[in-house]
This record gives sequence, C-alpha cells and structure tokens, in this order.
Amino acid sequence: MLQQILALIVILFFLIRLFNQKKKKQINGSEFLIWLIFWLVALAAIVFLKQIDSLVAWLGFSGTAINILVYITVLALIYQVFRMRLIIAKIEKNISELNQALTLKK
Amino acid sequence: MKITCVIPAYNEEKNISQVITKVKPLVNEIIVVDDASRDQTFVEASKSEAIVVRHIINRGQGAALRTGTQLALDRDADIIIHFDADDQFQAGDIPEMIAPLLAGQADAVLGSRFLDKKSNLPKLKKNLIMPLARLINRLFLNIRLTDPQSGFRALSRRSAEQLKIENDGMAHCSEILYQLFKNKNRVIEVPITVIYHEYGQKLSGGFKIIKDLLIQKLIN
Repeated sequence: MLQQILALIVILFFLIRLFNQKKKKQINGSEFLIWLIFWLVALAAIVFLKQIDSLVAWLGFSGTAINILVYITVLALIYQVFRMRLIIAKIEKNISELNQALTLKK
Repeated sequence: MKITCVIPAYNEEKNISQVITKVKPLVNEIIVVDDASRDQTFVEASKSEAIVVRHIINRGQGAALRTGTQLALDRDADIIIHFDADDQFQAGDIPEMIAPLLAGQADAVLGSRFLDKKSNLPKLKKNLIMPLARLINRLFLNIRLTDPQSGFRALSRRSAEQLKIENDGMAHCSEILYQLFKNKNRVIEVPITVIYHEYGQKLSGGFKIIKDLLIQKLIN
C-alpha cells in the first residue's frame, strides 16, 4: 500500500510538471497529449493493481501485475532510446548539411 | 581535362604541406577541406597553392569529402581524386589511377592495397579486419573487390555527380562503393602502395561503420 502511495506521488509530480511545461509552452500539443496519456495509464495501473493482477492471471501469465508493468516499461524505454537515436542521427545530418553550405558559401 | 584532387584533413599540420607539394605537379587543382582541425592545418595548407576551405565544426572525413567533391564539381572538375592528408598514399600512384578514366575505360577507379604493389599493412588489419570488411561487403552490398576500404579513388565527373555521400564518418567508404555499383559505374581497381605511419582504423572502428550504415538505412 505504501509503495502504491509513493508511486502515485511520483506520477502526480510528473503530471504537475507536464501541465507546467504546457502552460509555459515548452512542449507542443501532441507531445503533451502523448505524455498525458502515458502518465494517466501509469496512474490507472497503480490504482487498479489488484484488478490487473487478476487480469494477468486470467490471461495465463505466471508473474504479478507489477512484473508485467516493469517488462512493458523496459520495452517502452528501449523503444524510446531507439527513436531518440534516429532523431539524433537526423539532426546530425542536418548539421552536416548546414556546415557544408556555410563552408561553400564563404 | 581538369583534374582536381580533394584532400580532407583533420589535425594534419605536420603532413599537409608535403602532401600538397607531392600531389600538385600531377593535378590541375587541389582542394583541401580542413575539417575544423584543432591544430594549424588550415594555416599550413593556406601557405600552398591549394584551395583551402574550412568546416566550422568537425563532422568527419565523409562530410569533408562531400564538401570537397561538391566544390570540385562547382569548379568544373572533369576528374576528381580523393586522397588522404596523412601522407600514407603515394602521389606517384595518381597517373595510374587516372589513366583508365582518361582512356574512357572506367567511370571510377579504386586504389587497392591487395594487388601487385606492396603495402606495409599491419598484420591484424591484413588478416582479420580487411577479410571481415570484404566479407561484409560481399554479403550485404554484393560487392566483390580486393580492397574493401580504400580511400584512394578517382572519379569521372558523371560518377561524382551521382554520388550522394550521406555518412559523415568512416562508413562513407562502403557507402561510396555501394553507390558506384548501384549507379552502374564501370569500376576498376588499380594497385597502390600505402605506407603506414600509424595504425589507423581499429576493429572497433569497423563495428562503428556497420552501426553507421544501419542507422543511415533506417533514417532514409
């Protein structure tokens, strides 16, 4: 129970941060929506942990809900790192094109 | 026929002047692309007859070659030679490299360290890294060449115009080979001599090349 309360506090902290970022226009609408959905799903998963436990058992998995949530989170993080790597590669490519244009313009 | 030699250079203040001096009598024009060196490469190169341009930030040999090749094309080069600034290639090989282009026998000529002439390749490179690179070229790019990673090449104008070097780092070598064959260029290899002063690219560099090629494939 204490762990659930701590997890909820952490999620609420990130939700408040998210709304603040949106208010200061530090993130755009779609990014705000993605993160809002992400944290609300996380919030729901923590609140309905017992129900998810039953669902996981009903689906035939041997682990508990929290285990499944950790696995999903790890996969989501790996995917995010991969996406970030591709975004960085695109930015690097743009920097190189800019660098070349400036060099040849002189 | 205007023959232009493109030399990408990074921290080569000790070698760049003598490389330019050796190459100049054999070509019409030299373009040095200083890839934002931290030493006096730009100053040293500027003292010579070469055209010297400087990248604002360091982007890698592939990026420097791309800039140099574009500038050579803008300056109406008919034949473009890619040559290293570390004084390991022999300028004396240039006439043999461009001969097939002048004779109209090829669109691109690649220098090979594994034909008649002798190069003092480090053993690990000769017996492990190069055979691995050769295998990767054969399996993934369907390219069968004796030298899988030679940076010494001569290109016809048409061939250079078709080239789109996307990789900023050392993966540009494999990328250029792939594009030359994809664009249906007539490619031939010519023996060259390379005198190694330093070890150069290590095995870890080879893995980075594979990683760069994969990322390139994904972002395109």
